[in-house]
Amino acid sequence: MSFDAELIFSALRALTPILFAALGGALCERAGVFNVSLEGTMLIGCFAAVTGSWFGGSVWVGVISAVLAAMVFSLLLAIGAVTLGADAVVLCIALNLLAVGLTGFLLRTIFGKQGTFGDPDLKGLQPVDIPGLESVPFLGRALSGHSPLVYLSWVAVVVIAVLLSRHPWGVRLRGVGEAPEAAQSLGVSVARYRYAAILTSGALCGLAGAQLALGNVTLFSENMTAGRGWIAVVAVMLGRALPIGVLLAGILFGLVEAVGFRLQGEGMPQQAADAAPYVMTLVALFLATRSRARRGAAAPPGRLTGRIPRPRRFARTTSESQS
Amino acid sequence: MTASKAGTATEHPSSPAARVALRVRGAVFSPVTVSVVAALILGAIILAGTGADPLTAYGSVLTGAFGSEGIGDTLGECIPIVGLALALAIPLRAGLVNLGGDGQLVLGGLAAVSVGLYSPFPSAVTVVLALLAGMLAGGLWAALAAVLETRCGVPLLVSSLLLSYPAMSFVSYMVRFPLLQKGSGIPQTERLPEGVKLPEFAAGSGAGTGVSVGIVLIVLAAVIYFVVDHRTAAGYEVRMTGLGARFAGYAGVDRSRLTLRLMFASGSLAGLVGAITVLGFPYRMVDGALTTPGYTWTGLLAALLAAASPVGTVAAGFFFSALTIGGFGMEQETAVPQQLTAVLQAVVILFLAVRGGVFRKGGWLRRFGRGPDTAGHPPPDPEAGVLDTGMLTTGVLDTGVAGPPAPARGDGGK
Amino acid sequence: MNDQHAAAPGDIAEVEMRGIVRRFPGVLANDRVDLRVASGEIHAVMGENGAGKSTLMSILYGLQRPDAGRILLRGTEHSFGSPVQAIAAGLGMVHQGFKLFPSLTVTENVVYGSEPTRRGLVDRATARARVAELVDTHGLHVPPDARVADLPIGVQQRVEILKLLYRDARVLILDEPTAVLTPAEADRLLAVIRGLARSGRTILLVTHKLGEVMAVSDRVTVLRDGRVTARLATAETTPAEIALAMTGRRIDLDRTHPAGTPAADVLEVRGLTVSAGRGAKPLVENVSLTVRAGEIVGVAGVAGNGQSELVEALAGLRPIDAGRVLVAGRDVGDASVQQRRRAGLAYVPEDRATVGAARDASLADNLAMGFHRTPPLAGRGGFLRRAAIREHAARVIERFGVKAASSAVTIGTLSGGNQQKAILGREITHDAPLLLVEQPTRGVDIGSIENIHARLVEYRDAGHGVLLVSAELSEILALSDRVLVMYEGRIVAELPRAEADVHAIGLAMAGGDPTRSAAAADPDAGDDASSTAPTTAHQV
Repeated sequence: MSFDAELIFSALRALTPILFAALGGALCERAGVFNVSLEGTMLIGCFAAVTGSWFGGSVWVGVISAVLAAMVFSLLLAIGAVTLGADAVVLCIALNLLAVGLTGFLLRTIFGKQGTFGDPDLKGLQPVDIPGLESVPFLGRALSGHSPLVYLSWVAVVVIAVLLSRHPWGVRLRGVGEAPEAAQSLGVSVARYRYAAILTSGALCGLAGAQLALGNVTLFSENMTAGRGWIAVVAVMLGRALPIGVLLAGILFGLVEAVGFRLQGEGMPQQAADAAPYVMTLVALFLATRSRARRGAAAPPGRLTGRIPRPRRFARTTSESQS
Repeated sequence: MTASKAGTATEHPSSPAARVALRVRGAVFSPVTVSVVAALILGAIILAGTGADPLTAYGSVLTGAFGSEGIGDTLGECIPIVGLALALAIPLRAGLVNLGGDGQLVLGGLAAVSVGLYSPFPSAVTVVLALLAGMLAGGLWAALAAVLETRCGVPLLVSSLLLSYPAMSFVSYMVRFPLLQKGSGIPQTERLPEGVKLPEFAAGSGAGTGVSVGIVLIVLAAVIYFVVDHRTAAGYEVRMTGLGARFAGYAGVDRSRLTLRLMFASGSLAGLVGAITVLGFPYRMVDGALTTPGYTWTGLLAALLAAASPVGTVAAGFFFSALTIGGFGMEQETAVPQQLTAVLQAVVILFLAVRGGVFRKGGWLRRFGRGPDTAGHPPPDPEAGVLDTGMLTTGVLDTGVAGPPAPARGDGGK
Repeated sequence: MNDQHAAAPGDIAEVEMRGIVRRFPGVLANDRVDLRVASGEIHAVMGENGAGKSTLMSILYGLQRPDAGRILLRGTEHSFGSPVQAIAAGLGMVHQGFKLFPSLTVTENVVYGSEPTRRGLVDRATARARVAELVDTHGLHVPPDARVADLPIGVQQRVEILKLLYRDARVLILDEPTAVLTPAEADRLLAVIRGLARSGRTILLVTHKLGEVMAVSDRVTVLRDGRVTARLATAETTPAEIALAMTGRRIDLDRTHPAGTPAADVLEVRGLTVSAGRGAKPLVENVSLTVRAGEIVGVAGVAGNGQSELVEALAGLRPIDAGRVLVAGRDVGDASVQQRRRAGLAYVPEDRATVGAARDASLADNLAMGFHRTPPLAGRGGFLRRAAIREHAARVIERFGVKAASSAVTIGTLSGGNQQKAILGREITHDAPLLLVEQPTRGVDIGSIENIHARLVEYRDAGHGVLLVSAELSEILALSDRVLVMYEGRIVAELPRAEADVHAIGLAMAGGDPTRSAAAADPDAGDDASSTAPTTAHQV
């Protein structure tokens, strides 16, 4: 197998849905909401994208439907977790299941199909050639010719990075996640910022779904996210909820997926390729926590995550029970 | 707040009749009942929206699930759904979420089918060995997730789920390649040797009912879970860990060991379900047959609905099994897709989560994560952050909200 | 109310609270309290724990609504629904538990919520300049770019003050500001407070420390049991007068229990060190102590000097980095929590809501913890005997006077005092040679306090050893046969009962050496002992 431009190209394509979802997850994490409904929200996005594109006759109708549907879907999480005080993890588990059931149900009722809907007339995202870049030898083939959402995801990384570090909204959001009562005491509405984070995360998951269903392929099939939302959750952890960190973690998974896909073409069983991103994820998590445990003693807790946990009196965390 | 609550608690009804009435009222207006009813109403609205008559549709769910045609299927469906609900309830009782049921299930199935195909022993022995192998495979895989949490700091929620995918891929590979039935176009293993199977209950005239004695094993598992949970010191420690992990730790319960054991038990039961399934019709393993129906997720929802209580989990599992089978009946009768039942199951939990006290912050499952602490609410639950670190975000990402205000110095406010 | 030093009629007070009433179930936290604070003065609000100071300040700051009464700022009536409104009206409060964002810088913390912006983004340069300017103007010595988490407590506190100044607070409420500070930091804070008053700000200093009131305040309002008992001008009063107003004729808890008769060691600790991580200062450093059967050893100290960590390390909830721990003669340095308990240790933790109990479990289940593996509660094969569990609960409930409808109610529905009695009862019932007790009466009503103290003494007299950690000096003095003082993770003084008095302990708590200059160290000591209250007119 050669490490060539096509590999980078497919890695970047595989990266995009994970990256969008992980950016959304990172925003929620920063706001203090542990959002594990990325998988389901993305799936809703996939379905809405295909539906919008099919009935609207335009891929952009599809993309916009995906964003809106995913936002509405994540509104359920916001209302439940923020307004009604329900447990976010339980809600997210239910939402993920709801997404699977709902998309399956609607696939039958709207398209009359079971399993998969695809049609040659279904409009997918068209590749965009970047003028000037496309003629550059290696980079052109790796970076040019992606769907517009791929480029949008890169923009999103930068925008969210700037937002979190420099924009008042982002700075306040971080505060809300880190010390809600402190934020509230200064007149910053914790609920409002959490709503915003969850809804933005919904929109990003919608884009993730649109890219998956209209960019990477042009069809909808039941459960087509296949764990990408969970990999995004892990990317948030590995990337420490920083946009750039999330990007790097996402690139890792994208590469693994692309390499797996390539090896599959060279005779490796498909199952090995399927499993590779998850194995990679576990290894990465393992290494990350390992190195943290090793450095952990040196730095005060929280230094590595950019957050200071409360003094945890009895928290027999892993690093402790190890010793 | 404390005084007034204690006050109401003293009003115990004296007469038995009043007590029964109170219990009935409690059950009718319990969050679970309300959530189920609310979900059914929402389902009716959806049904009406698709042009079907809700009453006819729900009627067909009932006849589909409990009619003479369906009851056997419902009971058969109970094996995986109640089985997995119990499997996932075991760690959930201590507040641990095992999301890796699918992987443990298929590994159990694969281990059982491998033993079944290659065991040199008589078929009766082979069946027992196959069941044990299934339990062992599922249990070890789940235990691995526990080790990843307790040793490496990967949150259990994530470690169990992520381990599930490679397991499914591995099993899929084994079924499609090494164990593939020769000359078959279907991705399935060879059929198990004659006699290597769990007998089916006879339906009077000698015809099979489709319900294997596997259901007895599931009932047995439920009984064991009930007894351990209600009657033993170990079950007590699990319950106390679920209600207050720091309390349990303070009193000497070793959390790492508990996690490992609960996960092993959980995975074993999931593996047993896999083994039971492959030892029943069609007596082989078919790729995807165990995972496509989403038993794990249905089971998890059932366990959540019952707050992992043994009796409740079985009841909720049975309810969801009936709903699933009834859904097929509904689809035949009214052409409403059977996926609606999956929607309803999820909606029940959604309603329960937002409506019921059990999942609320400060409620039974508060360990699951940070609820919102907007001001105006009581100060953040000191436990929430700690438990987070234990379960959801251990090590990798510290999400603990910064320090809670020091306990009030008792100046006036009590 | 007899207020000799009231401002002239027509003079408008900066802050005026009139007839404030606030009831809690069973407690009248504020009973027709009047408070008048002139502009630019440092006004101390004094009282013991539970006197109603914090409630009064919470009402002023919009955290609680009064049941009756009015609040006027510069003559205008206000009714604050939230602190945000109070801040807008020019109030500012530094809470005991700081409300800071540890991972953000000082500047980010200060400007949070009202950041200066340039082209939509946070204008860091301007923000930093404004903060630096405030730091300079008020001599606060806070590095604007440092991360708050990296700053010592005293500096963090000044960040809180900066936040108020940045928002142009005219009135600063400081709630027990020196409770968490070392003496040097406290002095510095007092200097800052003086400076702020000079710059025209009004300071409300909530405290129960006489020394700092005498040192900085202009005037004092003293509360006791929710009522104002004195209004004094600091220059014209004495510590003794204030102390009398604070304590009144209340029975002193001090020294009501006879001394114990110590026997063999039940706890021996040698060179115990608990680290906070490589490079950081240890939380507990080279601590050696013994507790003998039949004695109560009190551990005094300002909160956060390693007492909690010490107890947790002894209980097995925190890993030990060096040293030996012997419980009843057995080395338990590496032992698990359960092994330690078997060796003979019981423990009443500080955080009773989440550590000492499972709030949502029944009282019976909570009381069974630790007894559930052995007869009579457990039968053969680890099976629980439910009747025995109920009986066990009933016994503890009865013996310790826990007020609960039945043992089936969840423990979280009980009052703090009853929860504590239940937990203490459970731990005492273990009959372990060594009992570790942390803050046994924090947030507990007076009646329960006496009960709990009596139980501890009773337990000691039954031949057990007790290690008592308390932030309440009066509690330490009332119960201890020996007093250890912790300061910055070390034991800096060990005083026998006879030598342990407020001044000696207080000095050691502040890092001083009590053996060298026992009484002379505290200028207030002489006054306190000799003078009688000159102006009883202030007594209500």
